[in-house]
Amino acid sequence: MFNENLKWFFPSTISLAVRLIGQPGVILHGGGTRILKTQSRSIIGLVDVGKLKLNYIKYKNNLAHIGAAATFSDVVKYSKDNNCLLMLGAALSQAASTPLRNRITIGGSLKDFPQWSNLIAPLISLDAKIEINNGKTKIMSVEDYISEGTIKTKHLIKEIIVPEDESLFWRVKRFALLKFEYPIFNIALSLKMDNNIIKDARFVITGVKSRYKRFIKAENVIKGKILSEGLIKQCMKYIDPKFVSDYKYSDSYKTKAAIITIEDLLTELAVEKQ
Amino acid sequence: MKIKFNINNKLEDIEIKPAETLLNALRTNGFTEVKCGCNEGECGACIVLIDEKPVNSCQVLAMSVISKKILTVKGVGTLHNPHMLQKIFTSSGADQCGFCSPGMVLSAYSLLKDNPNPTDKEIVESLDGNLCRCTGYVKIIDAVRRTALIMNENITIRE
Repeated sequence: MFNENLKWFFPSTISLAVRLIGQPGVILHGGGTRILKTQSRSIIGLVDVGKLKLNYIKYKNNLAHIGAAATFSDVVKYSKDNNCLLMLGAALSQAASTPLRNRITIGGSLKDFPQWSNLIAPLISLDAKIEINNGKTKIMSVEDYISEGTIKTKHLIKEIIVPEDESLFWRVKRFALLKFEYPIFNIALSLKMDNNIIKDARFVITGVKSRYKRFIKAENVIKGKILSEGLIKQCMKYIDPKFVSDYKYSDSYKTKAAIITIEDLLTELAVEKQ
Repeated sequence: MKIKFNINNKLEDIEIKPAETLLNALRTNGFTEVKCGCNEGECGACIVLIDEKPVNSCQVLAMSVISKKILTVKGVGTLHNPHMLQKIFTSSGADQCGFCSPGMVLSAYSLLKDNPNPTDKEIVESLDGNLCRCTGYVKIIDAVRRTALIMNENITIRE
């Protein structure tokens, strides 16, 4: 149950919003879906981001800028006409349901990073950047934002920046046995190609023990080469996700499912490239 | 506290608590056409349109939508002047117990406003947040398809 004396704030500037969340027990409110799930009594104030006008998606200098208050539905809709958001749009279109996607914001989902997140894997795979404000403006990669612990600090996410790359080949997969279940894991694979040669690769999985994992050894094995059946076999030796068992699925089941899924997705990419 | 909300194109005084969901606020203020199903954002019985987009009102804090336009199923059409979608839902057996119907109608209404000529896939996708335990969905999807067809061809349905 929420605190009975819950207070609401509706700031119209980022600096005021950042000052407000500096107070103990005061947090940001975007779509509110996650806050309603937890309903923590320790929350004494909610700072609504509605008046900050962060619900934009714009395209400038081969970069897509997605405001933190843009919803999953906004991204899915925009992605249909914009190449650089196709991968993200495909991943987010599989998340939750239409009415929830109309409410879940990019900023809220990124900051909370739930185990079932459909957002984090494609963002890391796309090498997306994030602009935050904690009194000062800072831009960093989404991967650093998570791995270096900034995600746990008090700050406001202003926007996500996704680069456009026409040489990108990608696959995303939300793995759940039923559409209505939270996914067991999410996978995002991207390959930057120069004709048939793989220039760069980013393989990411979320839902694992360490929350997210990049398979850097596997990425290095395939760089500079042509994607083939043999190369995929070689690369798969380094796909080693670690899961935790839960009341439904054992860690070994999840590991097997993830390995098979990644191999299938890489095979699809190899066929597509031919 | 009492706050003015724009509900069904009318400004309404709504008594709310700071931590109250929109679903609770609407129902306790007489808008009982918004149904409470799972209260977890899974079933879609509580769907309303906020600025023309369907959302689960059980997953929205009322205070966060003060300046938005809220539409319940009674804002789509009334008992004596139903919307085409509501007429076809009833005439084609797309509602049985009727508990999911307000949410279904609002999801379909939003779809047809955005996309007057949807494919079957688009209809199914737009209803992915609505559960029905009676109909098996076939008649609901038929009803949305028929409504689109009739509205696009300006056909009048005789009572």
